[in-house]
Amino acid sequence: MPARARAKTHRRSAVQAATWELRSFLGASAAIAVAFVLALAYLASSTGVATAGYEAQRLEAQRDELRRQNTLLELQLATLDSPARIEAEAKRLGLVRLPFITVVPAVPLTARR
Amino acid sequence: MAGVSAARLRTIFALFAVLSIVLSARVVYWQTVARGDLLERARGQVLSDEVVPAQRGTIRDRNGAILAATVELRSLYAIPGRIKDKPTVARSLGVLLGRDAGPILERLTSGAEWTFIQRRLPETAADAIAALRLDGLGFIKEPKRLYPNDDLAAHALGFVSDDGSGQGGVEGWYDEVLRGVNGTLVVERDPADRSIALGLREAVAPRHGADLTLTIDLAIQTSAERELRATIERERAASGAIVVLDPRDGAVRAMASYPTFHPAAVAIADPAAMRDRVVAQPYEPGSVMKAVTMAAGLDTGVVTPSTWYEDRGYADIGGRRLLNALGRAWGPTTMTQVLERSANAGAVFVASKLGAQRLNDAIHAFGFGERTRVDVAGEASGVVRPLAEWYPVDVGTASFGQGLTATPLQLACAYAAVANGGVLYRPYVVAAWRDADGEHRTAPAAVRRVASERTAATLSEMLVSAVDNGLAQGARLPGFSVAGKTGTAQIPSPDGRYVDDEYISTFAGFFPAVDPTFVVVIVLERPTSKLLGTSAAMTTFRAVAQDTLRYARIQPDRKP
Repeated sequence: MPARARAKTHRRSAVQAATWELRSFLGASAAIAVAFVLALAYLASSTGVATAGYEAQRLEAQRDELRRQNTLLELQLATLDSPARIEAEAKRLGLVRLPFITVVPAVPLTARR
Repeated sequence: MAGVSAARLRTIFALFAVLSIVLSARVVYWQTVARGDLLERARGQVLSDEVVPAQRGTIRDRNGAILAATVELRSLYAIPGRIKDKPTVARSLGVLLGRDAGPILERLTSGAEWTFIQRRLPETAADAIAALRLDGLGFIKEPKRLYPNDDLAAHALGFVSDDGSGQGGVEGWYDEVLRGVNGTLVVERDPADRSIALGLREAVAPRHGADLTLTIDLAIQTSAERELRATIERERAASGAIVVLDPRDGAVRAMASYPTFHPAAVAIADPAAMRDRVVAQPYEPGSVMKAVTMAAGLDTGVVTPSTWYEDRGYADIGGRRLLNALGRAWGPTTMTQVLERSANAGAVFVASKLGAQRLNDAIHAFGFGERTRVDVAGEASGVVRPLAEWYPVDVGTASFGQGLTATPLQLACAYAAVANGGVLYRPYVVAAWRDADGEHRTAPAAVRRVASERTAATLSEMLVSAVDNGLAQGARLPGFSVAGKTGTAQIPSPDGRYVDDEYISTFAGFFPAVDPTFVVVIVLERPTSKLLGTSAAMTTFRAVAQDTLRYARIQPDRKP
């Protein structure tokens, strides 16, 4: 084989070897990158779930507190609506009971016509 | 290495080998045999196993007004080791809690690592203390039963003890329904005591207690308690009770007992004031029992309203002479007049015609001597001695309510039977309860027919006459027909004799008599008024009845 042909063959082999190395490198890099991205995604997801969990707890506590406040307000309303309190307040204002209340008979209007 | 002999090397090697084997064995032990124990300890450091308390149900009146509800209030605790200036903190807390600072400082300097300063604080005080942001102080929430109407209907409601169990009233009777079932929560927690979202979480949700809706009406209850308290204070009576019942189905609209107590402060309550005199205190009913005797007489046909006898002021029976009140002789007296004049001799006349067996049967049929089975705790049955233990004179005394005892609720049920046409109903206080499965309504329960409709109607007319024309005129209401009967009973002393000048005053009645909507029974123990002792009871009846009629918007059935 002439020297020129040998050099050409050698160059081709070198190029093929370089291409293989490059491919391997790129493949490995891609795999590492994918793994890294997956790891990041997993971490982000875990962090997101944990954060959401803490947020859910905070909201649960807030809900419970609002329910408690609601019950307290209902009790306060019941206290203010108490007939005994209203009677005492009416007495303080000088209001008195009517001795008799006139009741209008519930005669149907059609019966009168 | 030249200085180290081979034997020494072997020894060192052997030691290391043995040590390695021992350590390996230990590792194997912890990884196999004791693995569970290790895991348990590790879990114990992060796992939190807690009880999730069930919320006790709310109690409401028939219109939905809250009578009792449980709410979590903040309890203040201290970790004294973290408080630097204890006297200053004690002074600040004393001002905000409205307490002397001395006892607070004592707690802070007691040497305890953790101590409560005050439990279940009012919200305003808790907010003010929280705003101070003092180191070493903190809050935990604890449930507290609150009663927005203070001591109103205290006996009907009962109370909740410190351990969370219901006592007395509907709190006691419906304790299992009200308290619910606690849940559990097992979670992994981080160092900040927050549950880890991705960690273990095993939860069994609590089943909260059912909410009760009572038959009691807040407005009628308020009126009954106001009038009872006023009468007892005016009359300087020892105690008293009022029960208002719907005769159509036995629903209790009000049950008042005085003296009373605050259900949120039972620790300082007088035990005598905690007795429910409507259901747990039997009295000798006295002449109100004449209605039962008369019902038996009419129902068996031994008398009619116009049957008459010659009233000589007394009746002889079983070798004993039983006198009319004040020994008064009325002459010819009809059965209607027996009720109008409350003539003991007339009741004995009817009882003699009935005989012991039929009188005893009637008394039992009307529910005396047995519990009404009302749904509140602590009911008494009263005493009606078995017929075998009756002496001949007992036929006479029982006919006008002596020698037996009954609770005000039993009397109300008996009068309700007359009012509704002759059917005895089981009284009830809880109209419905609502839990996770939905609403459960209480069905009115007829116990038995105790008199024919005709007998009930006739007796109602006779009782109306007792109010219109008889001794019970103090119970008349302008514009309404009222059927009722007074009763005065002497009080037995421990030696078996009756106490002089002390008595129990009773009035039982229903209105409007033509279509009865309410039965009211008043019992006053040891009032000081005279006029056969019943004027105070009738005045109270009239006041409660007028309030009730106005509130219920019932139209008059007569001209005022």
